[in-house]
Amino acid sequence: MNDGPLIVQSDKTLLLEIDHERAADCRKAIAPFAELERSPEHVHTYRLTPLGLWNARAAGHDAEQVVDTLLEFSRYSVPHSLLVDVAETMARYGRLRLEKHPTHGLVMSSTDRPVLEEVLRAKKVQGMLGARLDDDTVVVHASERGNLKQALLKLGWPAEDWAGYVDGEAHEIDLDETSWQLRDYQRDAADSFWNGGSGVVVLPCGAGKTMVGAAAMAHAKATTLILVTNTVSARQWKDELIKRTSLTEDEIGEYSGAVKEVRPVTIATYQVLTMRRKGVYPHLELLDARDWGLIVYDEVHLLPAPIFRMTANLQARRRIGLTATLVREDGREGDVFSLIGPKRYDAPWKDIEAQGWIAPADCVEVRVTLPENERLVYATAEPEERYRLAACTPHKTSVVRELVERHRGQPTLVIGQYIEQLDELAATLDAPLIKGDTTVKERQRLFEAFRSGEIGLLVVSKVANFSIDLPSAEVAIQVSGSFGSRQEEAQRLGRLMRPKAGGQTARFYAVVARDTVDAEFAQNRQRFLAEQGYAYRIVDAEDLPAA
Amino acid sequence: MGTPTEAPGHRSLADQLRGWDDVRLTRLLLARPDLATPAPHDFGQLASRATVRVSLLRALDLLDRLELHVLDAVALVGPASREEVLAVVHADGTAAGAALDRVVDLALAWWTPTGVRALSGVAEGLALAPAWAAVSGLLPAAAEAPDADEVPPLLTQLSAAARALLDHVEGSGGQATAGASRLRVTAEDAATPAEELLARRLLVSRGGSAVVLPGQVGLVLRGGRTTRDPVDAVPPLVTAERSPALVDRTAAGAAFETVRRVELLLDHWGTDPAPALRSGGLGVRDLKATARLLHVDEPTASLLVEVAGAAGLLAQRAGGDGNALWVPTDAFDAWSTQVTSTRWAALARAWLTTPRAPALVGTRDESDKPRNALAPGLTSRTVTESRAMALAALHGLEDGTVLAAGTGVPSLVSRVRWLRPRRPAAREQELADALTEAASLGLVALGGLASYAALLVAGEDPGPVLADLLPEPVDHVLVQADLTAVAPGPLESSLARRLQLLADVESRGGATTYRFTPASVRRALDVGWSAAEVHEFLGTISRTPVPQPLTYLVDDTVRTYGTVRLGHAEAFLRSDDEAALTTLVHHPKAGSLGLRRIAPTVVVSDTPLDVLLPRLREIGAAPVVEAADGTVQVTRPDLLRARAPRERTTAVRSARQGAAAGAVVSAVRSGDRAGRVRTGGEAGAAPASLTPSGALTALREAVEAGEAVLITYVDNQGTRSDRLVDPRSVEGGSLVAYDHRADDVRSFAVHRIHSVQAVPD
Repeated sequence: MNDGPLIVQSDKTLLLEIDHERAADCRKAIAPFAELERSPEHVHTYRLTPLGLWNARAAGHDAEQVVDTLLEFSRYSVPHSLLVDVAETMARYGRLRLEKHPTHGLVMSSTDRPVLEEVLRAKKVQGMLGARLDDDTVVVHASERGNLKQALLKLGWPAEDWAGYVDGEAHEIDLDETSWQLRDYQRDAADSFWNGGSGVVVLPCGAGKTMVGAAAMAHAKATTLILVTNTVSARQWKDELIKRTSLTEDEIGEYSGAVKEVRPVTIATYQVLTMRRKGVYPHLELLDARDWGLIVYDEVHLLPAPIFRMTANLQARRRIGLTATLVREDGREGDVFSLIGPKRYDAPWKDIEAQGWIAPADCVEVRVTLPENERLVYATAEPEERYRLAACTPHKTSVVRELVERHRGQPTLVIGQYIEQLDELAATLDAPLIKGDTTVKERQRLFEAFRSGEIGLLVVSKVANFSIDLPSAEVAIQVSGSFGSRQEEAQRLGRLMRPKAGGQTARFYAVVARDTVDAEFAQNRQRFLAEQGYAYRIVDAEDLPAA
Repeated sequence: MGTPTEAPGHRSLADQLRGWDDVRLTRLLLARPDLATPAPHDFGQLASRATVRVSLLRALDLLDRLELHVLDAVALVGPASREEVLAVVHADGTAAGAALDRVVDLALAWWTPTGVRALSGVAEGLALAPAWAAVSGLLPAAAEAPDADEVPPLLTQLSAAARALLDHVEGSGGQATAGASRLRVTAEDAATPAEELLARRLLVSRGGSAVVLPGQVGLVLRGGRTTRDPVDAVPPLVTAERSPALVDRTAAGAAFETVRRVELLLDHWGTDPAPALRSGGLGVRDLKATARLLHVDEPTASLLVEVAGAAGLLAQRAGGDGNALWVPTDAFDAWSTQVTSTRWAALARAWLTTPRAPALVGTRDESDKPRNALAPGLTSRTVTESRAMALAALHGLEDGTVLAAGTGVPSLVSRVRWLRPRRPAAREQELADALTEAASLGLVALGGLASYAALLVAGEDPGPVLADLLPEPVDHVLVQADLTAVAPGPLESSLARRLQLLADVESRGGATTYRFTPASVRRALDVGWSAAEVHEFLGTISRTPVPQPLTYLVDDTVRTYGTVRLGHAEAFLRSDDEAALTTLVHHPKAGSLGLRRIAPTVVVSDTPLDVLLPRLREIGAAPVVEAADGTVQVTRPDLLRARAPRERTTAVRSARQGAAAGAVVSAVRSGDRAGRVRTGGEAGAAPASLTPSGALTALREAVEAGEAVLITYVDNQGTRSDRLVDPRSVEGGSLVAYDHRADDVRSFAVHRIHSVQAVPD
């Protein structure tokens, strides 16, 4: 028996005891191949998944290293079947390779003929492959590069893509680090992306993913297409790029519902690309409008399915995905792997928080009890109505008012899902409201005012979930959310975690109705936070004055 | 034990056996148990049994390649001296000598006054073998052929074509057809190569056009030995270096997992048993579910259920609906209280000795039906021997070496094929299976035998060594804010059972992860825990402060617990007239009725309706019975247990056989002595009529001794006659013998042989 910090379970989870003296070494050693699943206070859980192991293979680790690492750090003996499984899984990656052929263009070749035969017989890849050149090589239709990779991953034989990238149209981009410095982890992230070719960088909200994007652009020095979730975030990207790089306003175009500019660096929204008119996507041609050298996907975990299909055709261009979490509520992590690329960089939230780059947060769940009459209404309501009923209980309004009162003087956000509830809250609290039908101009004005401290309280709907930089927010009060969405919770907490001038702790309140689906959903969402190491407390609304 | 080499020799095999000491006889009976059942009357019968074809073939299966070749040589050149036999075996003298002793010990050959001689069926038995177990293939020496020392000059006289033909016949089994060749021809007249050979008796006729190559000629052709290649080269095992500590650690990991999985499975089946198929096995779907439950593949799942069954921890029992179910036995309860290493030893021992072959699960039987786990027919005669041999081979490896990955198993297969050449080909698969199974059970890891498994194989207690390798039980967990608790090692079993009540197990292995949910906390409350108890329990087993969300969860669950009350009642009384109910409840005679008021207008009673109704009428009430819409039964799932099957393991069996064999030896001895006294008294008298078995014994003895006997035979016409015959073989109720009077080989029905009498030379 050896006194390691790691316990390897036969169900392929790895438990890391973080108070152990060798925990830090161990974490570094297993991070390349194991997915961090939960990181609560004492024991972190990692999982060995085929995707994770293939990610590691793509990053140049081999099975022997993985096995040695497990054996070195494991406290108990490692189940033999697990070691065999690791070796077998990792050996599947790279049996097939996509390569450039001098005369035939793109080809798929294999060092293992039976694998090639198996794949060629699979229904999923029919139509993607052309003539068989010899026993080990087969032509791939250039347009099917992405689809083929997707299909091969599903078959369990992920292909290594050695076909390289087009350089794209050169365009000088440099980082302008006069007033700021690229942080170490941001530099590492950009470097490991560049060395890997294409892939995804996972960083917590507020850790400066935009900077990583800018650094990647500075590596590429080519025309860049940036895909973001919405217009506001497009504007923010633009501002940041002007501030942080040698790019000028004229070089950056916005391609959204309002403006359609195509410039060396173009920022487009997912929405405009996926807009359909008469069954066609009129704005898809943007993808071919220039010879892009780099494509940046912001918030990869939200990438809509049509964009996946389009991305399949962009395999010859370098792609970087930026996200806070690889968890997709639709379970399409495999598509991200095959179409954008393997994970290239990952850092646990707590680590970055410990370095002071994101603010620590204190999460509190406030439970309100529904009054008798509302409970009766709730009990007899249709299931689809229940969440709205529970989430919008008028009781919450008074609790919110109390919380706002308590944090008067600190910039506060009130976040919710249901517009009527938000309208009511805005009226009660006498605070401005940003919702779907607020104009972009008005939104920007309000956000600006909030940032400057002109207004101390803002009520926002889910439009503010993503990529809107409100570094000054210190308190957030969530009154309702989109059911149990874990990534929404992460995003909302992310609003708070931009580092504060005074280094204060941010407060995140979730107000939920006890004994209802609201509380159940809240639990699901909080589990994600707790798993990220954010302990939360639960208080009853009645106890609030004391707490 | 190989003392009798220079012994003067015996008149018959029975005589030789009579001369053996008890130890040696017991050893024979243990090695060839079929000789002892039922106990033979005397040594004559024992010797007779040893020559029966079936028994002989079984004994041949026990020999290794060298022993087979030595026996083959004895059959060829015997009766011959030890030196003569060893001279023709292409092997090291010492090893071949030991091999010769062993075939004698097994009563496959015996010492006549003129030398060692193989039993008459041996040559035929040796020929009946798969290609890889073939011996020299030389036929017995023929009297009419020239002696060995006369052969070389004859060979030089041959034409090249004749020599080539001779070599061809030698290389292709020693048999040929003469075709148009004249069988009786002189060397001068020989026209064809075949005739040249026939003339010089290098080939001899065997009736019709069949000709054979006599053994002594074949020997000369092969340079005086039965084979051209040495037969004592034991195939080496391909090994690699590996530290024994690593082997032990890895194997112990598997051992720990095995015990944990068996416990998990049986715990599960204790409350939620798996249905047994009508044919007795475990259904494919249930096996799949088992594999999922245990996080293993299906072959491993079959192995675990089979081992649990073999260890007596699992058996069938009839369920509530009369269908058979697989449930843990009462032995499981005793087993679960033991320490892990002891529990493992019980499982491993069961695996070593069970004739069941889990690897056959999923394959198809003779009628092309898939075989199920736990099905009755899932056994193999050779599987325990395969396991023992595989482990013995690993045990024989030097310290620090293990079977090489990839090439190790094939080398083990060829080693075992050398050790038991006559076993069926299927055992190659059995060997590979044995190694796989041993690895998943934790006897073997990385191609090496774990040190504690070596103890187990040697019959010692592996417990203490294994216990040191297993994770030590821990007495605490780490409770976290995401409502999970992690036990960083195997939890002490009393704690584990309590914690399992309070939280759901999420992940098992060296450590266990638990998750607290409202449902799991409620489960603990259901069995009577109070909030304070839960808090106290969490406080004692958690090393760190209990996180606030968990405390809150417990309190919140307690708050809603019991809001709705459920109770048990046999009958209810309902009345809108509250006063009427009050009167009833307080009636002096109502005390024994168990009436309880649960609401102003409802009273319940523990007394069944059919009793209650007349009593109420006695009291004076006039109740009306409402339509019975069922009372609520509160039930708890029972832990089902079946009786452990009392099946003898092979270890017990062999011990019993040992005892029985000893008893048989003494029985034979006494029977034999009695017989001799009887015959001694009538020495010189006319031969008494014999029972058929007596005749058989006498005839077999004569076959082995190669002596002529005088038999009294009743022919088809009922005429009784004495015939002087040289018995050749006794098989299937008839004697094949050379009849001196008819000067031909004849067949005699044994039941018509009235007496058998030895003829003095």
